[in-house]
Amino acid sequence: MAEVVLENICKTYGNNFHAIDQLNLSVKDGEFLILVGPSGCGKSTALRMIAGLEDVTSGSLRIGGVDVVDMPPKDRDIAMVFQSYALYPHMTVFENIGFSMRLAGKPKAERKKRVDEIAKTLQLTSLLDSKPANLSGGQRQRVAMGRAMVREPAAFLMDEPLSNLDAKLRVQMRAEITSLQKQLGVTTIYVTHDQTEAMTMGDRVAVLKGGVLQQVDTPKRLYESPVNAFVAGFIGSPSMNLFEATLTGDELMSGALAIRLQDAAFVRRPGLKSYAGRKVVFGIRPEDLYDSSLESGRKYQTIPAKVTSIEELGSEQIVHLDIDAVRVDSGDPDAVQDFGLASNAVAKFEPTSKVRSGSEIRLALDDTKLHYFDPETHLAI
Amino acid sequence: MTRQKRSHHKLKRAVAPYLYLSPSLLIIGLLMLLPMVTVIGYSFQNSAVLRRDPSFAGLKHYQAIFDDPVFWASLWHTLYFTCMSVIFHMTIGMAFALMLNSDRINPTLRNILRVLYILPWLFTAVIIAVIWRLLLEPNGVVNSILMQISIIGSKVEWFSSPETALHAVTFANIWAGYPLFMVSLLAGLQGIPKDFYEAADIDGAKAYQKLIFITIPQLMPIIISISLLDFIWTMQVFPLVWITTGGGPIYSTEVLSTYTYKLAFSSYNLSQASASAVVILLISLGLTLFYIRYQKAR
Repeated sequence: MAEVVLENICKTYGNNFHAIDQLNLSVKDGEFLILVGPSGCGKSTALRMIAGLEDVTSGSLRIGGVDVVDMPPKDRDIAMVFQSYALYPHMTVFENIGFSMRLAGKPKAERKKRVDEIAKTLQLTSLLDSKPANLSGGQRQRVAMGRAMVREPAAFLMDEPLSNLDAKLRVQMRAEITSLQKQLGVTTIYVTHDQTEAMTMGDRVAVLKGGVLQQVDTPKRLYESPVNAFVAGFIGSPSMNLFEATLTGDELMSGALAIRLQDAAFVRRPGLKSYAGRKVVFGIRPEDLYDSSLESGRKYQTIPAKVTSIEELGSEQIVHLDIDAVRVDSGDPDAVQDFGLASNAVAKFEPTSKVRSGSEIRLALDDTKLHYFDPETHLAI
Repeated sequence: MTRQKRSHHKLKRAVAPYLYLSPSLLIIGLLMLLPMVTVIGYSFQNSAVLRRDPSFAGLKHYQAIFDDPVFWASLWHTLYFTCMSVIFHMTIGMAFALMLNSDRINPTLRNILRVLYILPWLFTAVIIAVIWRLLLEPNGVVNSILMQISIIGSKVEWFSSPETALHAVTFANIWAGYPLFMVSLLAGLQGIPKDFYEAADIDGAKAYQKLIFITIPQLMPIIISISLLDFIWTMQVFPLVWITTGGGPIYSTEVLSTYTYKLAFSSYNLSQASASAVVILLISLGLTLFYIRYQKAR
């Protein structure tokens, strides 16, 4: 078990493309850290550099206090789970799990003892003689985990290990990996593009964009206090609604829209005062928007909106809305999918809501839950 | 659709594939099956082809062949020639394929080597035979180089000496045939997921361990298929042997194909030649069945 420390890590390719720029990250002993970001943000490159599969252009990388920048992968005392699992199709589950021990020349009895132990933990005992082709996706995933566990490494590196599984199995394996990590207590760095995985699995989450680290924090703090509009838009599903507005007195004016801010907002965000009379970006999460006909007791202020479409999920309804305000792009390429052509906002309504597609409604919003960002830098105010 | 129309449509659908197959079936029937059956018939006749009403000979010609020491020598030479060719085709093909697949070689050099290594494949057997006859002449380049670096003391008559002729012919055939393996294995190598090697790197595998535990098992289906095909083809090689040595000196490079040819067109013993051809057919058939069974098993 060990601490993994990245200091000023850079990765530049031959065409002068900066895949990773000045990455500083410290993963504590036994911690489960998630590296998350949209495709092409450099998260897999970062993981592969830690594994030693990619060269580090500059910076220092320490695992368990040892500088490993010039070490080959095998000497770094890490184990990796690949997105494809990289199971050898011609070997049985037993041979796959015991492969590293076989390479190390460990006697068969010792190998068998250790593989049996791991198979028991992962419930693979009855499958030890099967070939990967005869296993289900979830079983293959577990074999890949077993192969990583067999070496008792200082750190686990996982590269989108659940992305090849169907949705239901992914939820199950998410829980399995999390509990396994807690049980083993091994430092784990887990790469994913799925923010649900990021929020539910890790002790801390590091958000990357364009090779630059945006924020490292606990999932709760990332959700509640994103440092910039990108993190705000990336974390949470559906994405946070972001709009441009002018702060006039204690009102946010955007298009025909006016949202009155309570004094508490200025107390919580003292920086907001300096934006008086200027443009500001405000954000509100879909779960902080309500159907006003269901929320009359709470006295939220309401704004007009037109329902463009509704996704019924049973436990909730995702309502796509058109409101008269200028939407701001968070810079997350995946976020665009949340909005249809005619809509510029998304809300999560109770299943009891009776709104229908095409109807004009009053949208209740909890203004204490608003987030504010600088319109130029997109940094949180 | 009426019932009649429907059954007509059904019939058309059932017959269509056979109509498409019929031209090739006709050609194979006329050019392969018919001659094959005719040759099998000749092998049981006295003075086949030469006489208008040949008499039935039973297994006489087979008996004659099996009693002929030259036949056994040819069979042994064929096996040696074939086994050595297949083994070296595979090893050389594998070595070159691994080299061409390595990303440690400069890409430009790799492309040049790729063209260079595939060259032998572009030549017909006749040209290969002529090239090697020139190279291996007593006064040729090979002797001159080997003498300069003191590997041989005097000029060797590679194709004319009974001790070296079979090795020389086999060598020429190895040179001519490795590109098939190289190209097939290279395609196979490029299909092996990179993850396998990266996972092995992390697990601490050395280069030779990656070759033994990942590369070769991953290439096994290709190695077996191509080896079997090569075995079948090499067994029947005729022009290379015929042009370089003609089966000599003193039968030292006689293979089944040249043996059969001589029976037919030097001795005009077409019945015995047919029997010998049937023996070759049976050996090839055995290998082919083995190959088909292997392909089916996959």
